[in-house]
Amino acid sequence: MISDITLGQYFPGTSILHKMDPRVKILLTVAYIVAIFLCKYVLTYALMLLFTAWLVLASGISFKTILRSLRPIVIILIITALINVLFTGGEGEPLFVLWKIRVYEAGLWRALFMALRVVMLVAAGSLFLTYTTSPIALTDAIEALLSPLRLIRVPVHEFAMMMTIALRFIPILIEEAEKIMNAQKSRGADLSTGGPVKRIKGLVPIIVPLFISAFQRAMDLATAMECRCYRGGKGRTKLRRYRVGWRDLVMVLLMTGVTLGIVLGNRHLPALVGWGYSL
Amino acid sequence: MNILELKNISYTYGRGTPFMVKALDGVSVGFERGKITGLIGHTGSGKSTLVQMLNGLLKPDSGQVLLDGRDIWEKPKEIRSVRFRVGLVMQYPEYQLFDDTVEADIGYALRNMGKSPDEIARRVRDAAAFVGIGEDLLSKSPFDLSGGQKRRVAIAGVLAMEPEVLVLDEPAAGLDPRGRKEILGGLCRYRDTHGATVILVSHSMEDMATYCVRVVVMSDARLFAEGKTGEVFARARELASVGLDTPRVSHIAEALIAAGVPLTGELYTVEGLERAFLAAMRGEGKQ
Repeated sequence: MISDITLGQYFPGTSILHKMDPRVKILLTVAYIVAIFLCKYVLTYALMLLFTAWLVLASGISFKTILRSLRPIVIILIITALINVLFTGGEGEPLFVLWKIRVYEAGLWRALFMALRVVMLVAAGSLFLTYTTSPIALTDAIEALLSPLRLIRVPVHEFAMMMTIALRFIPILIEEAEKIMNAQKSRGADLSTGGPVKRIKGLVPIIVPLFISAFQRAMDLATAMECRCYRGGKGRTKLRRYRVGWRDLVMVLLMTGVTLGIVLGNRHLPALVGWGYSL
Repeated sequence: MNILELKNISYTYGRGTPFMVKALDGVSVGFERGKITGLIGHTGSGKSTLVQMLNGLLKPDSGQVLLDGRDIWEKPKEIRSVRFRVGLVMQYPEYQLFDDTVEADIGYALRNMGKSPDEIARRVRDAAAFVGIGEDLLSKSPFDLSGGQKRRVAIAGVLAMEPEVLVLDEPAAGLDPRGRKEILGGLCRYRDTHGATVILVSHSMEDMATYCVRVVVMSDARLFAEGKTGEVFARARELASVGLDTPRVSHIAEALIAAGVPLTGELYTVEGLERAFLAAMRGEGKQ
């Protein structure tokens, strides 16, 4: 049913990733992405992969769930890999020739690197942000990080509030839609057979009540907010105050260490090991 | 004779996710033909899930739902015909209204059944009469009605199917006492004229005592008790242990018995207690 759609993919938990300051998490995500693109040598990729694997373990989220989050990008992965394998030029002898296309060792390496990059990007995004940060914490953090924009009169708080409300309403509306569908099915609504015109017409008894209740809810919420004297962000304090703690420090240090390792590894390891492909 | 029977039904929400909840755990219960059966239970006891099993909105993970002795999931493609026979009125059903006029909205199920326009017109009027919606309201928009009227129209939308079994989840919740009486009275009249079976979910023990012959009690996804209304309410202590109360009259009866008044009979309705009390007084007068 609809509720199976993993929209709010947040998995509540108590891991170090869950307990981090969401603001630091967003900044770390950016750092992580930069680190991915710094990787140039096979062993530095391995280091990054190792770090990612550790993050998954630390988050307490199963590898299966992470792999499932990769499912939508499988096709993109395959296409990028293929293009890299087939169209990377190289020096020396090609590994083999497919019709007129020469495949070089460099192409295989590149394909592997690109695929790893995409996989790590998606895994990190879901690990740091969607899986371990509640939507509310996320919007709070975005508001905090964007707050300098207030100086140039961007209504940051209002945007964040709209985002929070929208996110909060998603599960409510899903539940509402399910309830209405059940009520109409109980009156013999047939939602799964017939041609496209019949199906669209069949949706009217669901969409009309859904809209009406959404508007009603919006109005009720506005009244409730006014009753509690809401008047925008000015002078407003927060229920949840985020503080940078030791966990954040540990993660920042780790991330810095990994990034340094990658930069130094890119420069020195190839000569030291004398093996492997370097971009 | 049971018209509807659940056999060893289990159901779990969100199987395989961190949010897994067992809503029904091996529930077996039968509903007698032509009777009004009450279904009570604490919030989250599995009542609403059970109700959605009865007309095939949910498919049990294991177990069977038998309607007239036949498994309703025998032919999953024909589940719609089960929904026409087992009418379900959901909780706060007024949100299901969508059509331009009250008449069209009540007739929605009938159009889905493929009835002729004449038949639809007749049944819509019949159903409206049961819930006290006058002819003058039929051409109005359902969104212009009051809350209580909306509720009546929504119930009429299910009654119009003329179901053999009528299942209602808290049909009178949030209504004033007169509205309650009229709606529940209308349902009784529907049962009498159509010989229908009624299953009534309610938090009001008074409604249970007044309208239901049998009561089914759910607790913690399981069947807790089942039996004649009087027998179930006689187990007041056990009911209290699962967060349920007995009708307020029965508390008065208990206090009277404790004070030495010898009461016997149906002590869970005002009328029953009155009869018992008068009988006891006469008994004392003779001595």
